[in-house]
Amino acid sequence: MTCKELERVLPELEGVRSFELEQHLKTCSACSELVSDLNAISGQAKLLETTAEEPSPRVWASIESALRQEGLIHEAQPQLVLVPPDASCWRFTWLMPALATLLVVCGLVLHQRGRMEPQSAPQTLAKGSLPADQATAMVPEEEELLELVAARAPALRATYESDLRAVDAYIRDAELSARTNPNDEIAQQHLMNAYEQKAMVYELAMNRSQP
Amino acid sequence: MTDARRSQSDRLSEAEAIERAKQGDASAFEALYNLHKRRVYSLCLRMTANTAAAEDLTQEAFLQLFRKIGTFRGESAFSTWLHRMAVNVVLMQLRKKGLNVVPLEETMEGEEESPKKEPGGDDVRLAGSVDRLQLQHAIAELPPGYRMIFLLHDVQGYEHNEIADMIGCSIGNSKSQLHKARMKLRELLKTSRAEKATKP
Repeated sequence: MTCKELERVLPELEGVRSFELEQHLKTCSACSELVSDLNAISGQAKLLETTAEEPSPRVWASIESALRQEGLIHEAQPQLVLVPPDASCWRFTWLMPALATLLVVCGLVLHQRGRMEPQSAPQTLAKGSLPADQATAMVPEEEELLELVAARAPALRATYESDLRAVDAYIRDAELSARTNPNDEIAQQHLMNAYEQKAMVYELAMNRSQP
Repeated sequence: MTDARRSQSDRLSEAEAIERAKQGDASAFEALYNLHKRRVYSLCLRMTANTAAAEDLTQEAFLQLFRKIGTFRGESAFSTWLHRMAVNVVLMQLRKKGLNVVPLEETMEGEEESPKKEPGGDDVRLAGSVDRLQLQHAIAELPPGYRMIFLLHDVQGYEHNEIADMIGCSIGNSKSQLHKARMKLRELLKTSRAEKATKP
């Protein structure tokens, strides 16, 4: 084998060494050095992958948000059953938009307070990292709402309880993210979405609890 | 992300996650993302050398993948399919920025580089040892076409048939490009070493 022949077959070799190649490498220091260098480059390159970094959480948050907006992620929604209208069920209807608005406004106030006091983030984060049993505990208002639902449709209590826990978890995640990154608009938008989802669950549950 | 969701996403196998993602399961999408995010991001980062651009490209690649996940039939490996999208997204971005991404078929018939022709080849030797940082800098200096093939094969470990599938070139072309990339890297590393040696 000559240097020219080695040069021609080198791209095809991929670690396989023929007898002719070995013989040539023993007698040609330039080609031997070339093969050694190329192997060293390839070997060192493999180690680069093990030190690969990962993207910031912002990337997944953006992907998830886009998938939700495009309807590619399906939320587990409470089953809606159409009930014939009953005059008595309209007595508290005015409360629903008021409750939804109240929740969103509360969310906005908390959110603004979080933005205005970034120095208190570590303290707030500590509050956010509650033990699992406390973090998943329901507040008395939620328990009352579930009791109202159960009184009208016992089978749906578990569904609404699950939805409330899920939306509470979403709010906790979103609050944590928004406090950690007070200038991240996507994190703030997630928080607003979380509050709106809770308002929606409340509204559906109120509907369900009406006689 | 809650611990429960993280735990659930970790437990899913890739095949299960793909099927569940087709049904719109959020945790399945997240599991697939977590499984492949490092490799895709790493490729984007080394191609752009810019963390913000790499994150945007990673996001775009995954979004394209998730939008089409319903059409995935498993003829090729999922990671190859994902990387094909990432490669296309990256090359498209480089073209938009006006970087000269030479079509692979056109670069194939260039002049062959001889082992004896590198500048400083007689004086500076790598002697079979390569410094990792110097290699990273040299990779960043490669033309995008060479860089992509080198990253996919030597860094990420894809085979030539997979790379040919991702990039849309022949296997022979992939091998030829890889060889030229390694030769170019050797030249860059030698130059870098020579410059370092001449500094007081």
